[in-house]
Amino acid sequence: MADIALARASKMAPETARELRHARRLSVGARCALPVAVLLAIGFLAPMVAILAYSFATPRSFDVFRSFTLENFASLFDPTNTVWLSFAWSVGFALFTVAILAVIAYPIAYGLNAVFGRWAGFVSVLFVFPLFVSENVRLYGWVLFFIKNGVLDGTLKWLGFSGGPEVLYTPGVTLFGMAYTYLPFMLFPMTLGLALVPRDLVDAARDLGAGRLFIWREIELPLAMPGILIGMLLTFVLAVGATAEAKILGGQSIIVISHDIEIAFTYSQNWPLGSALAVVVSVFIAALTLVALSKLDLDRMLGRR
Amino acid sequence: MLQTLPAAAATDEAPPRPILQLVGVRKVFGGFAAVEGIDLDVREGEFLTIVGPSGSGKTTLLRMLAGMDQPSEGNITLRGELINDMPPNKRPTCLVFQSLALFPHKSVGENIAFALKVKGVDAATRKKRALELMRIVRLPDNYHDKNVMKCSGGERQRVALARAFAYDPEVLFFDEPLSALDYKLKKALEKELKDLHRETGKTFIYITHSLEEAMVMSDRIGVMRAGKLVQVGTPEEIYGAPVDRFVSEFVGEVNTLKMKRAGAEWHGVDVPGTFTLSPPKDGASLDEAFVVIRPEYMRFLAPGERADNQLTGTVYNEYSLGSRIQYQIRVGEKVMLAELSRARALAPGASAEVTIGWDAADAFTLGS
Amino acid sequence: MAGISRRSMLQGMAAGAGALAAGPLLGTGSALAAREKELNILCWEGYNSAQVLDPFRSKTGATVKAESLTNDPTMINRLRAGEINTWDLINVNNPWARKVMLPEKLIKPLPKAEFEPFFAKMLPEFKWPYKWAMSEDGNDLLGMVQRFGPYSFVVNTDKVSRKTAEETGWDLFNDPALAGKYGILESDDWNVFNIFVVAGIDPFKVHTPEEMAKFEETAKRVFKGAKLIGDIASMNQALISGEIDLHLTGGTYSVSPARADGHPNLRAITPLKGPLAGGKGGISWIEVTSTVNNPNLSPLALDFLKYVQAPEVAHTVAFAEGTFNPVAQMGNKACFDLFTKEELDAIQWDSLEEEMARSVEYDIVPDYDKALDIMNAAKRLRG
Repeated sequence: MADIALARASKMAPETARELRHARRLSVGARCALPVAVLLAIGFLAPMVAILAYSFATPRSFDVFRSFTLENFASLFDPTNTVWLSFAWSVGFALFTVAILAVIAYPIAYGLNAVFGRWAGFVSVLFVFPLFVSENVRLYGWVLFFIKNGVLDGTLKWLGFSGGPEVLYTPGVTLFGMAYTYLPFMLFPMTLGLALVPRDLVDAARDLGAGRLFIWREIELPLAMPGILIGMLLTFVLAVGATAEAKILGGQSIIVISHDIEIAFTYSQNWPLGSALAVVVSVFIAALTLVALSKLDLDRMLGRR
Repeated sequence: MLQTLPAAAATDEAPPRPILQLVGVRKVFGGFAAVEGIDLDVREGEFLTIVGPSGSGKTTLLRMLAGMDQPSEGNITLRGELINDMPPNKRPTCLVFQSLALFPHKSVGENIAFALKVKGVDAATRKKRALELMRIVRLPDNYHDKNVMKCSGGERQRVALARAFAYDPEVLFFDEPLSALDYKLKKALEKELKDLHRETGKTFIYITHSLEEAMVMSDRIGVMRAGKLVQVGTPEEIYGAPVDRFVSEFVGEVNTLKMKRAGAEWHGVDVPGTFTLSPPKDGASLDEAFVVIRPEYMRFLAPGERADNQLTGTVYNEYSLGSRIQYQIRVGEKVMLAELSRARALAPGASAEVTIGWDAADAFTLGS
Repeated sequence: MAGISRRSMLQGMAAGAGALAAGPLLGTGSALAAREKELNILCWEGYNSAQVLDPFRSKTGATVKAESLTNDPTMINRLRAGEINTWDLINVNNPWARKVMLPEKLIKPLPKAEFEPFFAKMLPEFKWPYKWAMSEDGNDLLGMVQRFGPYSFVVNTDKVSRKTAEETGWDLFNDPALAGKYGILESDDWNVFNIFVVAGIDPFKVHTPEEMAKFEETAKRVFKGAKLIGDIASMNQALISGEIDLHLTGGTYSVSPARADGHPNLRAITPLKGPLAGGKGGISWIEVTSTVNNPNLSPLALDFLKYVQAPEVAHTVAFAEGTFNPVAQMGNKACFDLFTKEELDAIQWDSLEEEMARSVEYDIVPDYDKALDIMNAAKRLRG
């Protein structure tokens, strides 16, 4: 034992020297990265700081940094304020979107992995291509699909049916639009998550007598869970902030929380109130994300691989 | 249930009836036959090893036996029942994967008891059985709740083995599970596996590319090349009577000399002189033959000493193999190998010019 | 965190950051730089189009930036929030220049002598001294006028005849039979006016609690009964497809593109009578373009104001992309003759004069903030 320790000690010296040199090199790198880091800090943090500061400013004023009041927050939590309705719609619809997408994306991700193997992740990125077209344009496309005498209604009439269902400008179609918009954000992590399940493990479980459902429950689902949860979290966070679906497809049949924030910043010209609302929503999402991520013990799930 | 038998498994008495029988088994991928016309009887309780270089089709053969692939042609029967298309989860067989395929999100105990959970065995019984199996594979009890990915390589092997035993299979398959381990651990586990085989009395079918590994553990060895089973026999038969050059060379380093017949005499093609050959195993009459001499049957001839065959050459290298020494001797363009125990080694500084020789009975004469 | 409200917030954040940093930064930066070759315009949709700006760019060789917004308070608050150093011209509806921006020193007067002659060539109602172009005391010229139009509501005359619409007026939106058959244009300042009018109340005055209660009840009912709320494109699309028969808030500005596109059955309506001052039935708007009180104002600002008065440019402004409108310069025959019959039809030239006469002009609602809060809460109850 002693001589091993000795051997290690004698080996230590050059290593420490190398480490020192390494540390010095890193600090050079850090220095080089400094301008970019500063720029990022300003670009990323400055708007956040502005929002936070505005949330404590006198309502309907621009007295940022010059006034301090909790009035904006107080008015948000005032029981007569119906803004909680918008918040409830946003959270509820986000949850529904996540649930729907989990059910829709799982078979797609499974199929992609089955067909494309290790290229599945790449193929699932192709689902992102619609994102290159503005979301509003794509949603207007759906309006043309669902509208009276539009694609769906027109085709059904041409085929001799009485016409399409009246779905446009309803909460239901809003949910459809959200599921449509956020599918790639669920699909990509989920596909990667499923790709994490080694083929051997499924074969081994089957060889040990397990049927399809048992394998899915005991092997595939737990091992793909990090990807699934990340997809769910991502989708949820994005969906809570969605406005275009409720506006364009839903015809504002419901008002979502980010629409309320937008109104505060535009027609109401109440930046402090809008900021306070943004801060409350951000804190809610951040807290939720942190809780979810702390529960999402990747090490444990992947067995520290 | 798995019972611990005393040293059982008949190898010498009357051959037991085959547990697994392969008749004309063939597997074609695209236009390529990975496995070509395999006929094989696997005896109840034997340790059969299939050896072959990579790409010889041994893994494909194993996947068909385990039910993960279906044969393109031919029949596989288990105790007389045709199982060609029986899915793996219905077969009373179990495979220990090369990767081990342990479930990383489950503990050692949960991994081992997986097959029991599938069967709906209650948690308490599962734990009891897992601990029993852990003792059999020599894993300490306190490993039951340990994360399987925190186990060492050797411990993981034991978990994989115990997990397979928990399924209580009639036949266990092994797909080179030891290949990733270091030499010492591999040697120890080979012996343990052999012990486990004896203690459990199960039929083991083991796949490896290492004949050395096969020799240590197996009752019988099947050598595969290019999708075909070239030779099946006991380790002694494979070592002592290879059917062709491929098998003989696969077994280890050998000297191979090409011979041509002129009347009753055999002339060397690579080396000068005439040679005395043992008759070929199948009694065929040959005009051209290969003589295979294992290095350990080669000896140095002192002046006046004689052997059936002899060659003169120069020593240009010697390697210590521990208790033995290997010499490389150049005879013309040909390099011959001789392995001798230290007791019979050349004296240091001895003349570089040596005469080596062997007796006809110690060499094989092969047609191909 | 930025993801939460990314779309809506980005603008807000950018504006916030602008107010904090960009304003002063741009200010100091431009104070040092000569601004002979630079012009920044804050305007409604139309003036920012390439058709209008490109000839001016090539004529002057200047860098012209124009940002279009779709409501007046936002533009004015941009100046209040510190962007006074950034912009040279601001184009908003009629009352803001004399009632708000001049008193707050956000804009500065124009040289009267240089600009007075242009008014002579405008339509008669804009004759010098035109009220909304002048300061309250009548001494200063605060901006130039160009686009204008009536803005009450729009109907599909195949479903509701022009006659019925004009005679029934705002009560159409009180008719339970039409619930679910109308839309509401997302233009909340106008919606505040129009909800008051539907409630039978003059919007442009201080309101009693009883009137506010009536406003709230009306807002809840009218928003609840709306098939959809959306932008101009959504309204026109819904009218054309038959999803709706009419929509609240709208006029030539919103419906003219659909009319020009072959849907003359869609029509801006000005009711014959209503609760507005003098019993008038509709509300109209006139855009006033003023020079910002920028300490380092670009000399091109005045050049641009003159440039858009030219008959050809005025015609281009009238038919800039997205929205088609009458312009004050149509009083000049040289300008008027540039308009084709189809173009005159798109802007409802046939009834323009009488509709303007039946409308009061856009004004400031003293208790707008309170009314808007009530209306936003009413909107949330739709779901």
